[in-house]
Amino acid sequence: MTTMTRPYQVTAAVLFVFSAFVAYESLQLKFYTRLGPGPGLFPFWLALILGALSVSMFFQATFRSAEPRPADFYASKLGYLRALAICGAWMWATVLLEPLGYRLTMLVFFPILLLTLGRVSWYTNVLFTLIGSIAAYWLFTEVLRVTLPIGPFDALFEPIDKFFESIVSIFAR
Amino acid sequence: MDTFHSLMYGFAICLQPANLLFAIIGCLAGTIIGILPGVGPAAGTAMLLPLTFGMPPVASIIMLSAIYYGAMYGGTITSVLVNVPGEAASAITCLDGYQMAKKGRAGAALAVAAIGSFIGGNVATMGLVLLALPLTTMALKFGPPEFFSLMFVGLSLATSLASKSMTRALISAVLGLLLAMVGIDPVMGVPRFTFGHKDLLDGIGIIPIAMGMFGIGELLLTAEGSTTTFIKTKFKEMWLSWQEFKASIWPITRGTFIGFFMGLIPGVGVLVPTFISYAVEKKLSKHPEKFGTGMIEGVAAPETANNAYCNAAFIPLFTLGVPGSAVIAILMSAFMMNGLIPGPFLFKEHPDVVWGVIASFYIGNLVLLIMNLPMIPLWVSFLRIPTPILYTLILGFCVIGAYSGHNSVFDVGLTLGFGILGYLFKKLDFPMAPMILTVILGPLMERALRQSLEMSRGDFSILFTRPISAGLLALAALFVASSFFRMSKAVKKDTVV
Repeated sequence: MTTMTRPYQVTAAVLFVFSAFVAYESLQLKFYTRLGPGPGLFPFWLALILGALSVSMFFQATFRSAEPRPADFYASKLGYLRALAICGAWMWATVLLEPLGYRLTMLVFFPILLLTLGRVSWYTNVLFTLIGSIAAYWLFTEVLRVTLPIGPFDALFEPIDKFFESIVSIFAR
Repeated sequence: MDTFHSLMYGFAICLQPANLLFAIIGCLAGTIIGILPGVGPAAGTAMLLPLTFGMPPVASIIMLSAIYYGAMYGGTITSVLVNVPGEAASAITCLDGYQMAKKGRAGAALAVAAIGSFIGGNVATMGLVLLALPLTTMALKFGPPEFFSLMFVGLSLATSLASKSMTRALISAVLGLLLAMVGIDPVMGVPRFTFGHKDLLDGIGIIPIAMGMFGIGELLLTAEGSTTTFIKTKFKEMWLSWQEFKASIWPITRGTFIGFFMGLIPGVGVLVPTFISYAVEKKLSKHPEKFGTGMIEGVAAPETANNAYCNAAFIPLFTLGVPGSAVIAILMSAFMMNGLIPGPFLFKEHPDVVWGVIASFYIGNLVLLIMNLPMIPLWVSFLRIPTPILYTLILGFCVIGAYSGHNSVFDVGLTLGFGILGYLFKKLDFPMAPMILTVILGPLMERALRQSLEMSRGDFSILFTRPISAGLLALAALFVASSFFRMSKAVKKDTVV
């Protein structure tokens, strides 16, 4: 039976290295001042506690009866690809949201996800891409007054903005 | 005029058709604001504040208050249905609410949240009517040492949020405390763990953490498995069963008191009572191991606590003119825009406004209940949207939510980072609740401790010599001791700790 021993040993080792890094960084800060603890005191002690807990986790994983590894601990290739598609689309949004603006970024973000997360017809894909990018932008910026990034090509969307405005003015009347 | 007559006078004002309409509009707008990521109650009330410029003072404050507690309920809807908190106060509801939805009990989770919010809100309002002044005077005795000890009680409860392993729960809690250290040092103003990055100077916000760990983490995990599964809910299973109702009574009662008490203390914030009430329920439960798998108590208590907190937070405002949170500060500005100065004289000088607003809390909570219970089937029907479309829309709205907090793409990237961390936490069975709890408590605790030590010139005994502080520390010690007792019993039984 496969167990969780190895994943927990690796996690404990990573946490130990992380705690050593935090302890080192904390020592670069003031430890104690005339009025009491300085900015480095708490993180240093927390790093020590984390180090001790990671050592304890390593020993528990190594010497105690280990938990069985769940059957779905490792996913299929397709599963990993889907998760990677989410990460990739999100990274696309992170990097290009400000240079391209919300609408243009999302015009790519939505179809990528709709195509990779399951089977969706092309017209559904187009519809939800428009809802998620153009309609959502209008809802958040014009109705809810939430600021979203504008890109250099946003002038392309001016006719759509005017269309929304005309609809609102009809209702306002 | 005695209290009862004053309240009746308030009802007479509040039940005027125009005021009633504004209460309904406020509840509806608040619910929508709560559902949408990136527009929390503070942003929502601030956004709609200019709309109230031309309105009579009572109507404007009634509407803004209704938006506030409406948003508290709205946030629950997305927490339960898609595991993404609409606003931070609903983050803890994700743990059991979403699991209930997975079991086809989304309707029951939303119903208990609505009922709990109604009860919590009304009891807190009753407290506002009957006990406002003495309780506020007592709450103001909370100086930095007492505040630290109260937060320490919260921290001690982190140990009870452990599921299978105490070590992993403690690691999760310490990681949360370390995350809370990022940013400008609260006393000396020195950047800490920012690595020269200006976006980290303000610290790491709760939105990227909660949205990433709960929402994105869950989506990554689900996408990795199969995306064709639907969460099925039958119409007849929408309502609470008798057993669920019975199981919710005490959590609602305790959630009310925790939320009410915390609402009296300025600066606590709405997140703390929700997490503490969840931890208390888990600690008191006969089946703490089942928390996180869809226990109705895990939804009832925090949802009640957040609405009780919201209503109780008005007490320091009305009695002393002290705003306890960002939203209350915005509401205070609405008072001041209308030439009303919140404080002890408000009751005497403008009884129509104060009692009208207080009565509107009862009406607003009732409107929220009447409006939301029939809408549960509609909310739950969103789960019938095909998974690829639903997940893509959630991710798109999460991008907006992550960005709009600070208008920063750095936060968007950070959300993905926490999403991956949430995914790893789930894979390795690390509990997320202790980490989120300590991220919230960490900065509050550190600031209070360091202020206390400045008061005593570095002498730690200040924490033990002040009676309230000492009492709270003793309570925390009791909680920790009982957790370790439970752990040692588990070791004897040879279960994994």
